[in-house]
Amino acid sequence: MAAELIRARDLSAGYGRHAVLRGLDFSIRRGDFLGVMGPNGAGKTTLLKTLLGLIPPLAGAIEAPASGGRPLFGYVPQRESLDLHFPLTALEVALMGRYGRLGAWRRPGARDLEIARECLTQTGMEAHAERLYPRLSGGQKQRVLIARALASQPEILLLDEPTNGMDVHSERAIMELLSELQAKKDATIVFVTHLRATVEEYAHRVALITYDGRLLVGEKKNMLAPEMLASAYKPR
Amino acid sequence: MMTELLTEPFVRHILIAGVLAALGLAPWSVYVVLRRIVFSGAAVAEIASAAVALAVLFQLAPFPIALAMTVASFVALSRLSGSGRLPPETLVGMLYAGGSAASVLLIAKAPRGEADILNILFGNILTVPVEMLWTLAAVFAVLSLLQFFAAKEFLISAYDPDMGRALGIRVGAWNMLFYAALGVAVAVSIRAVGALLTFTMLVAPGAAALSLTQRLSRAFALATVLGVVSSVAGVALSYQYDLPTGSTIVAVLTALFVAALALGRLREAGA
Repeated sequence: MAAELIRARDLSAGYGRHAVLRGLDFSIRRGDFLGVMGPNGAGKTTLLKTLLGLIPPLAGAIEAPASGGRPLFGYVPQRESLDLHFPLTALEVALMGRYGRLGAWRRPGARDLEIARECLTQTGMEAHAERLYPRLSGGQKQRVLIARALASQPEILLLDEPTNGMDVHSERAIMELLSELQAKKDATIVFVTHLRATVEEYAHRVALITYDGRLLVGEKKNMLAPEMLASAYKPR
Repeated sequence: MMTELLTEPFVRHILIAGVLAALGLAPWSVYVVLRRIVFSGAAVAEIASAAVALAVLFQLAPFPIALAMTVASFVALSRLSGSGRLPPETLVGMLYAGGSAASVLLIAKAPRGEADILNILFGNILTVPVEMLWTLAAVFAVLSLLQFFAAKEFLISAYDPDMGRALGIRVGAWNMLFYAALGVAVAVSIRAVGALLTFTMLVAPGAAALSLTQRLSRAFALATVLGVVSSVAGVALSYQYDLPTGSTIVAVLTALFVAALALGRLREAGA
């Protein structure tokens, strides 16, 4: 069995004193392609933010058995969250992925630029490196954000609604790209989505957040069974 | 005319003060515009004024108190804006109103004359002493180095703080440093060249540069060039036509901003 990169024990997550998710026990293994699904407002983004360390766990622990410390995440936020007033090129956005590797006060060098370019190439955006990020299409923006996450040379790639608001063609292209990264590089990918069909087609394992803040993780065919989905999506 | 400007010691000091203010503040203006904190500068200037008036009333040294209050206000704005139930502008607006009222009330009760206090309060580019020029040069040199070496941290903290945190960057600490540095720049500049010129220099060059260029890396350099050109042109025009220098530089900056905005729009329409 592949090494565990993340292990959550009795984890509760939420904001302030309000726990959105309670008593979570799960692990993410190297090479996982995990789709996280659940009803609106059930805590999909809360789970992602807790894993990333953006909000502290309310109880329990997140351990990283393989690295000992905190694993390096490549984060792909919802692309609408970025400010389009910043006149940054696709390359400049991808280069940000290197920032965590550089340490404080150090400026990116030629090698960092080279890595950022390589990552743009991996996501099929090399021809657009010098174009302004705000002027790219939704699918192209997403590819640049994936390139940025890859540039950080992460152990785990976390994506928040990577295909949200895209047409079917672009959605398919992005998921194919992730699938290819996972297959060719044995990348560990966790993506949050509200689209059952996407999870069904691409994820290897499924994490289902239930309406009452629990997390069920398992093989795709079990987790997407109608009775399982019905119990998770039961109205409050 | 430039030779005349440079040979007259009195005018030379004004010119140096204007150019230093541009070199020191214009690069920050790009961040001020992109971070949408334009009015924080105005609100903090009012708080600094109230602090000076308070110091005068109790016969304390005005500048250290203004400096401390300016830095503290910027840091508080960075910590409190966006938290709670109210939109960030609310706090900025109340700081502006409260600071203005406090200044007026404290000046009314101060033992020194109003004009005297206003001069301490807002500085005057015409009366900037030589020691102040050295202070400006030294402070702005340190802040420019800070901007150069912390460029990536300042950028990601403003552009995508969540990504920054995910990469292990201490976004909160870098934001505090950004606002503290901005506070120092504003306090020193207000003391030397006045509040109006400081505020305009903190907005117009960045806004004009961002209208003209579509590259962030170029915007910093262009903002600095525009700021310096406006200062030199403003001092020259005020000397030639006997106009108030600070306001003339502000007028040039405003004209330049309008021209840049128009040019940017024209270019976009043609693209």
